[in-house]
Amino acid sequence: MSKPTLATVSLGGCEGCHVALLDAHEGLLDILGMADLVHSPFNGTETIPDRVDVVMVEGAVTTEEDLRRLRACRAAAGTLVAIGSCAVLGGIGGLRNLSPLSQVTHVAFGDTTKSPLLPRLLPNVHAVTDYVAVDISVAGCAPETELVVAALVAAITGQPHELPRRNLCDECHRTKNTLLMHSREFVSDAVYALMELDHIDEDSCLLEQGLMCMGPMTREGCGAKCTAMNVPCRGCSGPSRLDFESGGKAVDALAAILPAGALMYLEDLIGTGYRFTMPVSVFPAIVDTEESDNG
Amino acid sequence: MALGVYLSRCGGLVDAAIDVDEALANVREVAAVACVVDDVFDPIVVAAIESDIREGGVDAVVLAGNSAEHLSKSLSAGHLTRRLVSAGVNPNRIVVANLLEQVALAHPGDRIGATRKAAGIIDVAALFATMSPEVESIDLEPKRSVLVLGVTTEAMIAAQRLLQLGYEVVIADRGNGSATAASATVLKSTSAFVRGHARCKFIDGARLVDGDGWLGDYHIQIQSNEGSRRIVVGGILIARPDSAEWVAELREHFRVDVDDDGFARPLDPHNHPAETIDPGIMVVPVRVDGTAHRDKVAAADSVAMALVLRLSQTTVSHYGDTSAVDEALCGGCATCVRTCAFGACTLDENGRSHVDVRRCRGCGKCVVSCPVGARDIVSSPHDYLIEAVRSLSRVPVDVGHARVIGFLCGGCGYPAADAASEFVAQRGQGYPVTFMPLRIPCGGRLDTLYVLEAFKVGFDAVCVYRCRQGHCHNLIGNLDMDRRINLLRAVLRSRNIDDARLRIVDISPTEGERFVESVEEIYVSIASLTNGKGAAV
Repeated sequence: MSKPTLATVSLGGCEGCHVALLDAHEGLLDILGMADLVHSPFNGTETIPDRVDVVMVEGAVTTEEDLRRLRACRAAAGTLVAIGSCAVLGGIGGLRNLSPLSQVTHVAFGDTTKSPLLPRLLPNVHAVTDYVAVDISVAGCAPETELVVAALVAAITGQPHELPRRNLCDECHRTKNTLLMHSREFVSDAVYALMELDHIDEDSCLLEQGLMCMGPMTREGCGAKCTAMNVPCRGCSGPSRLDFESGGKAVDALAAILPAGALMYLEDLIGTGYRFTMPVSVFPAIVDTEESDNG
Repeated sequence: MALGVYLSRCGGLVDAAIDVDEALANVREVAAVACVVDDVFDPIVVAAIESDIREGGVDAVVLAGNSAEHLSKSLSAGHLTRRLVSAGVNPNRIVVANLLEQVALAHPGDRIGATRKAAGIIDVAALFATMSPEVESIDLEPKRSVLVLGVTTEAMIAAQRLLQLGYEVVIADRGNGSATAASATVLKSTSAFVRGHARCKFIDGARLVDGDGWLGDYHIQIQSNEGSRRIVVGGILIARPDSAEWVAELREHFRVDVDDDGFARPLDPHNHPAETIDPGIMVVPVRVDGTAHRDKVAAADSVAMALVLRLSQTTVSHYGDTSAVDEALCGGCATCVRTCAFGACTLDENGRSHVDVRRCRGCGKCVVSCPVGARDIVSSPHDYLIEAVRSLSRVPVDVGHARVIGFLCGGCGYPAADAASEFVAQRGQGYPVTFMPLRIPCGGRLDTLYVLEAFKVGFDAVCVYRCRQGHCHNLIGNLDMDRRINLLRAVLRSRNIDDARLRIVDISPTEGERFVESVEEIYVSIASLTNGKGAAV
């Protein structure tokens, strides 16, 4: 009996998730021992075969070409694995949804008309799940190599795949002090941008030090590498319940514990709370209607 | 799940304003039983519901008619609930759909609109009854002891009655209470009886520093001239409701309603002048100077009797209206710990959130602040509230009419919406029927996701009702909500969405007129707006 087949596809994105896969180094040999790679950006084949056991999709749906290829993937795939925040949540490129398409093309291409050979942009960036059913989702920008490999191995072997469900604080090494004390005062006096602080305590919670950390709103799995390096979490893995809006939850969780300064940061809630999740949030739905009402 | 829906005509008031069969049309598709009755309190009706439960397998009940607030205060409703529970329905699955005050009496003259709204409210109640988890009861034998706060004539009479009935009494006074009692010039014999009684203790110079528990079993830490001591009592009598200090200390741990001066306020001054929110804590009505002694005696007797009726039961059941933790989701971010105003949340040795049920009041602030959905309140589950918003958006409205959702805090907005029916009757004109009420236990329970969802499913505006400053039963649930909503409004503005579509209304439970005005105001203010309207999806 022949080995299962595997295809990896990149839609609108940076291909960082494919790089995460390549980072598995020798580990890739295990995957290639289990499955035949029939189509991927690595081997240069152009069309997606009609039938593939496992298809890994990276990137968001940003053009008509992306959409065509995604539908081909779904039609071909026994198991569809969405890898990365672009595929699962729309990703950072989804921030383009904040502007009308005409403005986007104007900024990108100026007054010159773009080549007719390029695929036509969709009015909005969409997550893969907006169009097709996905069997396994692994968010992250990019996801940890082990998470990508584990998802592919599960898909190839037909095993159920469980992602961690808790928030990043579970993995973060930092200790909490004032957050654990019952008080109606905020956990910090003010909120700071990273560069404003001369010294960041390496062991205590960043929120307690007045830094906007998205850890509570973010799914674990990355090993909390950013917070280990004194950098607050930016929330690239998205919320651990996909039906939660990370931006809405940022309002709920942080408004209760951080002083008014945090709220000023949060006024750029789109950039803070929805940096990776704009296309799957409620806000575009509101904006869309606004445009259609006016035009 | 077999759902039984019983629509009460409420003596003809409900079917005068709505088409009851039409209102039940939706729910008939999902309910095992859906019928119209004259009055749910009628013994024949109660027996019929019991029979549906025991023989028809009904395990979730919607009582459509009177308001939830009416039912929670009425003795006959308490009796009805107990009958249904003993027949086998979990108390969390007995749900009220308020058709009388918030639909029938609120919208006279719009039979079609009121009928649609009634159907929507019944659907939401059905969602609640079928989606909420069962709650387990905590049963305890009530302690036969009472803490009396403050020395007054009424306090001494009540103490005398309690001692005579075999109860232990602790009388705590901020000043020198034992001396005050000794120098009493009126009812000297009562005072002497109480002071000399073996089962009575006085604590002078007392401050209430900590407390937890519920009817039948309160643990209270009192700091006094003699140091700190912990006492265990079954009930508490506030004999100095005019002491803002006592009331403030109590409110840190228990549910007591307050008036504008910070004094203890009975929930229903007309019918039950002794009752606060917490069923084991009573307000002893203190009469103004010059009140006849017989009135003081009557008031004190009445309050002692109200407490004795509760403490004389062999078993008291507490159905945990508390917060639950899903340990598979909790990552220990501790936002709930910081948010809880009552110290009910802690992180355990594994770094997971832990709830002290004796301190938790089920306000839901921890649920809202939990970013992973590891917390939920059994009596207002997250999934139900989201589904209720969607369900209310499907109530049909006439073309060109705006639809508004109102999140009503159970402590203020919801009773105010009930009270609005009286104002509507006075002026003979209802408020816009497309205003959809949704009860939440506290303003602090309002999750930003519900507001976003409401816009997403096509509501033109969202009104949130919260208690006035200092009046929140959960101390700061209202302020917490303010911060969230004001922040969200800033976000809406930054997206060119008019923040007039999201309005905070502060209100007291009796302000029916203000409620109606607030609803009409929002309709006026959104009429001129064109941007930012959501879309039904």
